[in-house]
Order: sequence, then structure tokens, then C-alpha cells
Amino acid sequence: MRDRPSGFANPWLQLTLSVVCVFVSELLLKRGASDTANPAQAWSWTGVTGLASPLVWLGIIFVIISFISWLYVLRYIPLTIAFPLSRVVDILVPLGCWFFLGEAISARRWWGIALVIIGLAVTAKPVARLEERL
Amino acid sequence: MTLLSLVLILLALVTFVGGQLILKRAMESTVMHGLRQPRFIALLGCGIFLMTISFFLTLGLLQRFDLSYLYPFQGLSVIIISVMAAVMLKEKLTLQLIIGALLITAGIVLVSLS
Repeated sequence: MRDRPSGFANPWLQLTLSVVCVFVSELLLKRGASDTANPAQAWSWTGVTGLASPLVWLGIIFVIISFISWLYVLRYIPLTIAFPLSRVVDILVPLGCWFFLGEAISARRWWGIALVIIGLAVTAKPVARLEERL
Repeated sequence: MTLLSLVLILLALVTFVGGQLILKRAMESTVMHGLRQPRFIALLGCGIFLMTISFFLTLGLLQRFDLSYLYPFQGLSVIIISVMAAVMLKEKLTLQLIIGALLITAGIVLVSLS
């Protein structure tokens, strides 16, 4: 890993920004896609029919923001570290539903969340050591 | 799940992985040569093209399946991208990173099954 800029240009901050934007976009896209779901329609398998929903367009804006920060992250952090860390978003969705919406989480899902957190810690550990030395 | 949806899910996965690898290569080329060079623009265009295909395929799949049903395939992308980055981009893949990627993949699959 090469020397990194600090402040807003810090790649780890950009990785966080990218993850948050993906989290928001996934919720928007799912909602928008469901609102416009009509499998009987021609071309529906391509997903373009989802463009009829404003939520999908809002989701696309978040996708674009996350994409730009992700490109920036790729410039500085190896894919073998950045990509696994970016998947924290996969546990943010159930945790967000539990925390904000009071939805129940099954025991199996808690185990899955625990595994992802351990996996993230294992992946991030060499990074933390590297950062300390800088 | 029909054969067509399985093909579409796999196609969305392959275009996503390919797009990520190409984008990583594009951004690496900017470190030495900056943004205004034909190689960067070609790679960026190619990466964005693949990601766009993956995006619309996923959107189409979301209209048919729950997000939780499509999650395991997103989980698989973690281990596939880690291995492909090591093979194609010559990134260092330590045992620790492999274990981390496998745990994250297993966790995402468990989260989606419940």
C-alpha cells in the first residue's frame, strides 16, 4: 500500500462512505423494483422496467456516489482487502432493520452476522498493523 | 428457480467480478500515468460497461426474488474476487485474508438462509 492522503481524501473514509451509499441504494432499489414489478411485461428480465420508479433513480444516484468513492478506494487499497471489507453492507441491512424497525433476527441469522464480523476482523487485522507502523 | 434465472444470476456475478478486476486495473494505471491516458479510459469504459450489465441484471432479478434470496450469490463474490485478484492482478493473498473471506462468505450465506 502506498502513501495515502488524509482528511476527506483518506481512502478508509471513502470506503466507509461507499459502504453507506451502497446500504442506502440497496434499500431504495429493492423498494423501487418491487413497486414496479410486472414479470409479464416485455424486457422485464433486463430490469429496465424498474426505471419507472423514482426510488430506483434515487438509488442510482447513491450507486454513482458509492461508485466514485469505490474507484478512489481501488487506487490505494488492494482488492483482496477492500472488497471483503466492503461486504459489511450485507450485515448492515438486517442489523438496520432490527435496530430501526424492531424486526426480529433469528438465531441462525445472528450466527451469520457473528461470522461476518469475525471475518471482517480477520481481514482488517493485518491492515491495522500496517497502519500502526506508518 | 428456472434455468434462465440461474443463468441470469451467474451472468450478473461474472460481469460483476470481471468489472471489479478491470476497474482495479484501471485505477492502478492512474498512479503512474494519471487520468489522461487512453489505457485508463479504455479500461474504465470496459469496467463501467460490465458493471452496468450486472446492475440491470440484478435489478431484473430483484423484481422476481427477495433481496435475501440473492444474498448468497453476493457472498460468493467475496471469495471469488479475492482469488481472482490474487491470480490476475498478482495481489498478495495471505492465509489470513483467505480465512477472512471464507468467514464473510459463510456468514452472508447464513444470514440469507434464515
